[in-house]
Amino acid sequence: MKCMHTRLPDYYAKVEAAAKKLRPETKFSISGMENVQTAKLASLRCGRIEREIEEVTEDPEIAEIEIKMVPYNPEEAYSVLIKGKRADGSCKKAVLDNMYATVPSVEYYMTDAEEIIDYRTGSRQYDV
Amino acid sequence: MKLRYRVLPEGAADGAIPLNCVFIDEADAKACGLTNEDAVKLIAKEFKDSCAAVNVMNKNGVSVSSDGIMNPIAVVATACVDHGMINPAFGYMNISEIPMYEGMMKDEPHMRQWLTAKFAGKPLHRGPVGKDLGERTGHNEYMTMTGRIANNNSGSEFFNMVEMTEVLALMAGQAEIMNDGEVMIGVAGPEVSVGIGMIVSERWGRIFGGNNLGGYKPGMTAHASAQYAKTVKSDYAVIAATKPKFMETMLDALDIGLVPGRELGCSPALLCSAWAYGKEIDFDRITPASWIELESVGITKEALMKPNTKPYTREEMLIHADEIIPGVISPKYYKVSEICEIREAEF
Repeated sequence: MKCMHTRLPDYYAKVEAAAKKLRPETKFSISGMENVQTAKLASLRCGRIEREIEEVTEDPEIAEIEIKMVPYNPEEAYSVLIKGKRADGSCKKAVLDNMYATVPSVEYYMTDAEEIIDYRTGSRQYDV
Repeated sequence: MKLRYRVLPEGAADGAIPLNCVFIDEADAKACGLTNEDAVKLIAKEFKDSCAAVNVMNKNGVSVSSDGIMNPIAVVATACVDHGMINPAFGYMNISEIPMYEGMMKDEPHMRQWLTAKFAGKPLHRGPVGKDLGERTGHNEYMTMTGRIANNNSGSEFFNMVEMTEVLALMAGQAEIMNDGEVMIGVAGPEVSVGIGMIVSERWGRIFGGNNLGGYKPGMTAHASAQYAKTVKSDYAVIAATKPKFMETMLDALDIGLVPGRELGCSPALLCSAWAYGKEIDFDRITPASWIELESVGITKEALMKPNTKPYTREEMLIHADEIIPGVISPKYYKVSEICEIREAEF
C-alpha cells in the first residue's frame, strides 16, 4: 500500500519540491482538491507529474508553476450526506441523497496556454 | 476548400441569444469530404478566442420533441468548443440513426407520425445509442462539454456554465434555422418550462431511454416538481418556430388520431391545441403530479373538460395559433436571414 500509493499531503509536498528543484524561487500553487481531506494517489502517477513539472521548469522563462486538479468527467455525481448531530456531537441521523454538478472542464483553465502537451493515457488526448 | 456553417452569434436577436450557437449542415460537411467530427474540429479553429455550442444537422432527417411531436430536422452530432478546443472525451458526441424496430409502433405509438407521407423513410435521430456515449456513464446526461460550454439533451439546450446563461433550441426552431425560415425568440416563460417536462416514452430518446422505454409515460411529468416546474426553465431564452409553424407540426399529429396524455405528452401547448381543435384528451392518464404543474400555469382540468362547441378548422387553428398556444414571454419573430450569419471555414 505505502509503496504503490502516496498520501495526499505527500503529493502536495512532492509537486512543490519538483517545481522548486531547479530554481527555489519559482512561485508555486496547487488547487482543486482543497476539500479532499484524505486520499491515496498512485505513486507512479505522482512520479510522472513530478517529472513533467521538472520538464516545464527547464525552460528558463518559466517563473511560476500553477497546478489545477480538475474533474476528468465534467458532470460529476456526488453522494450528499446530511448529518443531524446532538449537542454533544454524536450523530443521531444521517440522510443520503445524490447531487449532480456540471463543472467547467479543464479547457476553461488553459485558454491562455500557448502550447499544450497532452500526456494523458487512454483515448483522451488532444489532436495537437 | 470551404465549409459553410451557420452562426447565431452571442447577442443576436436584440441581445436575446446569450452564447454563440453554431449549426453545420451534414450535407455541407460531406460535400467537403469531412466527417461530422472533422467538421466540428474545423469549426473549433474558427472560435480561437471565444466559445460556441455546435450542432451538426441532417435537413432530411426527422426528430421528436420532448412531448412527442415529430419535426422535419435531426441533430446528428452535438459538440462544444472553447477557445479552439474540444474536450477529447466529452466535447463531441454522435447521435446515430435509429432504425425502425419490430414493435416500435406499439411501444412508442407517437412514432406513427413516422409512417405519414411527410416523414416516411426519413432517417430518425433522437438521442445517442450506446456506442455514441463513449466515456459517459450512468449519471451523465446526453450532453457534450468543453470548457465553459455544455450542449445538453441531444443538442437542444446550450449553456455557458461560468456565466450561468442558457438558451433552449427547440427542434422546430432548429428546423427553421436550417431552412432559412422564420423563428420566434423570446423568454421561455412558465408554460414552456412546464411543457418540456411532459415527455413521451422512447428507446434512445433525446432526453431519456437507452435500450428500454424508461419510466416516464405520456401523461406524466419528468420534472415532478409541483408548483416549481413553471420556474425551472422560465427565464431562459428560447429559439422556437413561429407559433403557426409550430401549430402545423402538432396538427399533423392530432390529425392521425394521436391523443395528448395517451400517445403524446400533456404539455400546455398540446392540451390547449387539442381542446381548440375539438380533439380528444386522455384526462384519466394525466397524473395528479402533472395536473398540479398544469394548474400552476392556469391550465385546469375543469376548463379542458368543458365541451368545445365550436372547434376550429385546421385553417382556423393556424390563423389563431398565437392565441391558442401558451408560452414564451416577449416573443419576437425574426427572419433567420436577419439574425443568423452564414460563415465559411477554410481548410
